[in-house]
Amino acid sequence: MSKKKSISRRDFLKLTGIAALGTAAACTPVATSTPVVKPTEVPTKAPVVVGKPFDGKVVRMHAITGGNYDELYKLIPKWEEKTGAKVEFVFKGNGFETDKRLVQDFAAGTVDYDVCWDHSSFFSQYVKAGGLEPLDNLFSPDDLKDFIPRLVDAAKSDGKLWVIPRHFDISCTHYRTDIGLSKPPETWDEFKTSAMDITKKNPGVFGTQFAGKEEALSGRFYEVQTAEGGQLFDDKWEPTFNGPAGVKAATMFADLYAAGAMPPDMTNFLWEDVAAQFVKGVIGVYTEWYGWYSYFQDPKSSKVAGKFDIARQPKGDGGIHSGWAGHHGFSITKAAKQKEAAADLIKFLTSVEGNEQEAKLGILISRQSVWDKIIKEAATSTDPLAKKRLELALLQAKEDFKTPPLIAEWLPMSNILYPILQKIILGDVAAKAGLDDAATQVRAMMSKAGYY
Amino acid sequence: MIEQAQSQAHAPVKGFRFSKSERYLPIAFVLPSVIIIALVVGLPMLYSLYLSFTDYTLTSGSSYHFVGLDNYYHLLFVDPLFWTVFGRTILFITLAVNLEFLLGLGIAQLMARAIRGQSLARTLMMMPMMFAPILVGLQFKWFFSAQAGLVNNLIYTITGTPHLIPWLIARNLGFITILVAEIWMGTPFMVIILEAGILSLPQEPFEAADIDGASGWQKFQLLTLPMLMPFVYTALAIRSLDIARAYDVVNMMTGGGPANRTELIWTYVNRLAFTGHQFAMGSAMSFITVIFSFIFTYMFFQNVLKSRWAGDMGEE
Repeated sequence: MSKKKSISRRDFLKLTGIAALGTAAACTPVATSTPVVKPTEVPTKAPVVVGKPFDGKVVRMHAITGGNYDELYKLIPKWEEKTGAKVEFVFKGNGFETDKRLVQDFAAGTVDYDVCWDHSSFFSQYVKAGGLEPLDNLFSPDDLKDFIPRLVDAAKSDGKLWVIPRHFDISCTHYRTDIGLSKPPETWDEFKTSAMDITKKNPGVFGTQFAGKEEALSGRFYEVQTAEGGQLFDDKWEPTFNGPAGVKAATMFADLYAAGAMPPDMTNFLWEDVAAQFVKGVIGVYTEWYGWYSYFQDPKSSKVAGKFDIARQPKGDGGIHSGWAGHHGFSITKAAKQKEAAADLIKFLTSVEGNEQEAKLGILISRQSVWDKIIKEAATSTDPLAKKRLELALLQAKEDFKTPPLIAEWLPMSNILYPILQKIILGDVAAKAGLDDAATQVRAMMSKAGYY
Repeated sequence: MIEQAQSQAHAPVKGFRFSKSERYLPIAFVLPSVIIIALVVGLPMLYSLYLSFTDYTLTSGSSYHFVGLDNYYHLLFVDPLFWTVFGRTILFITLAVNLEFLLGLGIAQLMARAIRGQSLARTLMMMPMMFAPILVGLQFKWFFSAQAGLVNNLIYTITGTPHLIPWLIARNLGFITILVAEIWMGTPFMVIILEAGILSLPQEPFEAADIDGASGWQKFQLLTLPMLMPFVYTALAIRSLDIARAYDVVNMMTGGGPANRTELIWTYVNRLAFTGHQFAMGSAMSFITVIFSFIFTYMFFQNVLKSRWAGDMGEE
């Protein structure tokens, strides 16, 4: 049996000391043990530039992606070059994913970014959660004077500015000109009659359709009942959408469905589904966002290319046009570490240059000066609707642009409302009874949220 | 010689005692996992339990209050949708598990008797398990689409007249379609467990039954099924808990709609807690469901033990 080698405490300390010295030597900066190289002798690929406003700063960004959204981000290297800052994307997702992530981050206090995507329908919930920084001190009236005023108004709550509008969307009436519709419906009553007539006269074509679930359905209901003279709430935040205007709007949806003038599975449709129905040529007239225009006019993807026209949305008994609208934009988080740089980045992304970049893709941008320019350019376009759609969209932005109430409870309210609207459409409950039930539930929700 | 060596190796050493440090060694090995699980699973669950006694919403920030059992009271005694959804979930589990069991048992019997192609059949059977539930949902949504769906097109091909059956929308049909998707996805699991059980059964009782002149049905009823019960209960328990958590397939196909017609407990929790911001209420609903699931699982495993005990007695 060999004797085990033991190590004394003294030997152990010696060895540890040697190891520590070795480690320290290895970690000593090379510059102390190597000859100093003169800066002029070192070839550098990226020379350090001094004097840029945000040199070395990193702006972390939480952004929307998909569709045409990313095109704008291609301008970011230009801003980085100009300011010396870097932009780091911490998250990219579609609108609903981004919203969900923001709500959860603000609730959990895990915000580690400076700039976030925002939307006029959603920002109130982030404000309520204490997640956003007011922008009034970072953006002067001069910075905002070129923006369409209704868009800026829709970015404010409690007298403070929270979002800088990037672009907006609003719906207009899309109607087929090849199936006997010579002019667009002027009122929602005419719309209903036209849709039923189209269904009767054109086998295989549904008169109309709506996106039939979630906020998409609540929003459509909101804009029809608003045109009919209704409001979602009175000035004391009591629900009023179960009044005559709301009942008339909900009844129209139910009647159209019962008459077979809408696809039988419309209550499972979202935006992409209704757009797909239209390009298949099975829909006569409906309200749709401008964003799909190039898809609709592309003969490769659309059977209705060149066979439809657009118009302002119908009026209701209230004498006003429907115009559920919203805008995308950028906000700065309360937790932002680089607020000045973040504001500068937003100014750059929503600048004339940024707007022009997005306008090329057919997106409805937020600056009046860019609108003037693109409308002028569209006059020479070979596309017969190019100028008309821009003028119409601008008119709607100025006169019909209506957001849902700018409160954090809009989506929870929609969450109560849309299943009941579906019940009304499918005939499970009468319009008045269903809306009364929804109003009771919404009131309870608003009461819990401290509105009364 | 070898047996002797083995018995010596396994024989307990008389008077052997673990030293104090050795006694704590297993605990030391397990402790990191326990701590991580406690931090990652236990703490959030406790926090969620705490939130279920408050009026916390996703936008309320830090201003929320303790409300005691209000959320539980609201769900159990005020919200009419909760019990509808809960009942529908129970019905969904019951139908799905039983149909999967019947289909699974039939297929497992056939596969156990197959002389050739067992491996290929098993591989094909496992294919539905290879798909993510979200893809299964997407696939079945397309199958049952009213206008472009495979099923309506098939009906059109057979009958020659177009039928726009709104499978995902119509009352009861929506429920049936999500049931079909769930069964398609879950049956292979039943087949695998039950076939493994069938192949592991002792052959002697069957030989004895053959000598006694028992019919095929008698052998199945009096031998196969009783001896298979531990496997059956295990498979049923696992699938029941799986289906009780059904979310992806339903969410993709119908989102719980329209008009709550296909709403199950987890789509409702998601709609309430996340879309509706009622996080505390969603937490309360989750805990009610978890308590029911716990009781259900306990009862199931009691039955597994009983059936196992009965099987042992039978063998004796």
